[in-house]
Amino acid sequence: MKSYIIKRLLWMIPILVGISFFAFLLINLSPSDPAEVALRVNEVTPTEENIAQVREQLGLDKPFMTRYFSWVGSALQGEFGNSYVNNKPVAQEFARAIPATLYLAAVTLVILVVVSVTVGVFCALYEGSLGEKIIRAVLFITTAIPAFWAGILLMWIFAVKLNIFPTTGMTSPSSVVLPAITLSLGYIPTYVRLIRNNMIQNQHKNYVLYAKVRGLKQSTITKHVFKNSIQTSLTAMGMSIPKLIAGTVVIENIFAWPGVGRLCVSAIFNRDFPIIQAYILIMALLCVVCNLLVDIFVAAIDPQMGKET
Amino acid sequence: MKKIMISVLAVAMLFSVLVGCTSQGNNEESTKDQINYASTKDIRDINPHLYSGEMAAQNMVFEGLTKNEGGEVKPALAESWKISDDGLEYTFHLREDVQFTDGEPFNAEAVKLNMDAIIDNSERHAWLDMINEIEENVVVDTYTFKLVLKHPYYPTLVELGLTRPFRFISPKCFVDGATKDTVSGYVGTGPWILSEHKENQYATFTRNEDYWGDKAKVSSVNWKVMPDPQTILLAMQNGEIDLLFGADGDQIDLESYKKLEEEEFYKTYLSDPIASRAILLNSNAPVTKDVKVREAIQYAVNKDNIITGILNNSEDKAETLMAKNVPYCDIELKTFSHNKDKANKTLDEAGWVLGSDGIREKDGLKCEITFSYNSQNAQEGTIAQSIQADLADIGIKMNILGEEKQAFLDRQKSGDFDLQYSLSWGTPYDPQSYISSWRIPAHGDYQAQVGLEKKAWLDETITKIMIEADYTKRSEMYEEVLTYINDQCVYVPISYSKTKAVSIMGLKGVTFNDSQYEISFEKMHF
Repeated sequence: MKSYIIKRLLWMIPILVGISFFAFLLINLSPSDPAEVALRVNEVTPTEENIAQVREQLGLDKPFMTRYFSWVGSALQGEFGNSYVNNKPVAQEFARAIPATLYLAAVTLVILVVVSVTVGVFCALYEGSLGEKIIRAVLFITTAIPAFWAGILLMWIFAVKLNIFPTTGMTSPSSVVLPAITLSLGYIPTYVRLIRNNMIQNQHKNYVLYAKVRGLKQSTITKHVFKNSIQTSLTAMGMSIPKLIAGTVVIENIFAWPGVGRLCVSAIFNRDFPIIQAYILIMALLCVVCNLLVDIFVAAIDPQMGKET
Repeated sequence: MKKIMISVLAVAMLFSVLVGCTSQGNNEESTKDQINYASTKDIRDINPHLYSGEMAAQNMVFEGLTKNEGGEVKPALAESWKISDDGLEYTFHLREDVQFTDGEPFNAEAVKLNMDAIIDNSERHAWLDMINEIEENVVVDTYTFKLVLKHPYYPTLVELGLTRPFRFISPKCFVDGATKDTVSGYVGTGPWILSEHKENQYATFTRNEDYWGDKAKVSSVNWKVMPDPQTILLAMQNGEIDLLFGADGDQIDLESYKKLEEEEFYKTYLSDPIASRAILLNSNAPVTKDVKVREAIQYAVNKDNIITGILNNSEDKAETLMAKNVPYCDIELKTFSHNKDKANKTLDEAGWVLGSDGIREKDGLKCEITFSYNSQNAQEGTIAQSIQADLADIGIKMNILGEEKQAFLDRQKSGDFDLQYSLSWGTPYDPQSYISSWRIPAHGDYQAQVGLEKKAWLDETITKIMIEADYTKRSEMYEEVLTYINDQCVYVPISYSKTKAVSIMGLKGVTFNDSQYEISFEKMHF
């Protein structure tokens, strides 16, 4: 197990180097001149002279590899440079946005796990019943609803009509409810189906038959089936954590949530390269770490996996 | 199973009853003392000497020596002024009862420090001629300040009243004696004090109780950031927002505006025409470099369709680039009213022959052009489609290219376009600052004019206008410039745009400033 983890940790290094290099390369291939854009987003008319001045200020006049290495060097110390747009340290911008996003992602994850597991297990146990069919129909509809529409609909019902939650912002503790529900709606159907199908598959396995023959109680059997079928779903859920953290742009915009998604999108529109680079690197790191943690977790539940590798 | 079904049904019914009952229960207006304003943008860095902050917020906190009001220059922090006969020296007598909100006195010394700090960063202000015209800032005595110019730059007083950069920040906020990189606080003399700012969430402005002029009528303004316009509408219906205010579809799109106009809970406001909306025809592009093609396009575009069908009559039709009420622009110019036959005739005469595919050509060159626009503005796309149909009628094929903002601006700067939008800056920038900007290569106007035979003369004349002390001579030169541009058909004038605002019924005193970028919160009350 230990060697497995170490091996995986070592693998992270080339992956991250590769990602950071490609991120840097791709961004530098963008047709807009970052020096010029930096002037423009501050509503300064670009002229030959001030473009040259800004290029020098931002270090854009140096060769590509020099810039890459100096960026990697400072990134290793947690220094991602300053935003081209407002000249504030990128690290500070992220420090401001990440807590909001993590908070939203955590609440979403809780909703996601609770709802998917309950509904998924219910669907498996009552397979083919009218209730399951209704749930299935609702899930299909939910998957088909785009997030921005669901968000506005929920806001209209629960904030405007029922006045239970505030429409937007992060001002009161209840503010998180609507965005978290909206965000989880996109994932719940997938996991409900996943859990349901896994459970149904497991129910037809030999160990269940054997348990039945042995005369074990149904509840005990269900517990075993549940434990065995939850693994794949957990892996999938674990993998969606970085996705939750990275991909909340639409919802953050609708609910005016001051998170990383908004930071990144406005950075893309403004060609704020230091922020985009830091974003890619941080998200890549998050993906790799989450992947690793999930694998370790699964290996811990299922000792077979650890031994095999 | 039945039980589950019943409970599901019960919940659903309860839900629908609740939705039915609790609507419209949120109209309290009696004792409100705070204006909740929603904007799609954060106020950002409101350093008055820089350009990254929201102008409306900068205007709340910082004031200038003069202000532009009702088309005139009025005293603000300067009580009165005297201009020397040669137009080179402006002596300002400052108000003696003004303090920055941190207690620092406002005096000639503070004015000089600010003016010097602005000039120290002159490259940033390249769009503004005046920066290069300032020779010296002189403290005459405690409350007298003298501005010495290199030439008799005529828009001096107007430009001193612009929202930025000639506004005053407390000397205590300077960092290393300068303001060009950063400031340590946002302390001004204005009717509002920025008391709290949570980036990307909200900013709170409280009333400046020691304000020298008419104090604000409500105690605070809460500037909420809501990036999605749909959300803003819902928040307004929910009573969380009292005011929407925005120039050119920034906060409110036309459809939402119309919808709110019909509802009894809201009041809608429309300003006087404030800026010009036009289409640039690039005189330096393969097809549109032919002045006859440009002229034909003028005749072909059906403006009435655009005004009534797309802009819903919310803007006035424009026959000339600048409205007649803009200073120096009340001149007789040739107008091109919609006339398909004239358009066809013009093209026929110029040798553009209709091909078998319905597209004209001349010397092997197809009459095919591209209209590029910023895809974030859906309305511009619709206008483009209307023009596309008009041009197809006269045998010009127009492609529409909606692009992301930065890509659009790249194209504008390099001149790589046939047709593009052009918005003038509106009062008080029109005509002087707008026309000045025609000489700057980064502007689409410059690029579109570069193919003109007399472009060099045009730029020279504009430079001369700005420093011509004599009003009559200046007017004549303006007329020459505007006539030439009009006859060369570089702009297809479409409409004169208006600023829109929507408030809840209880909010009173909503008015428009001269500049479409300012909001006079201090005049509003419940």
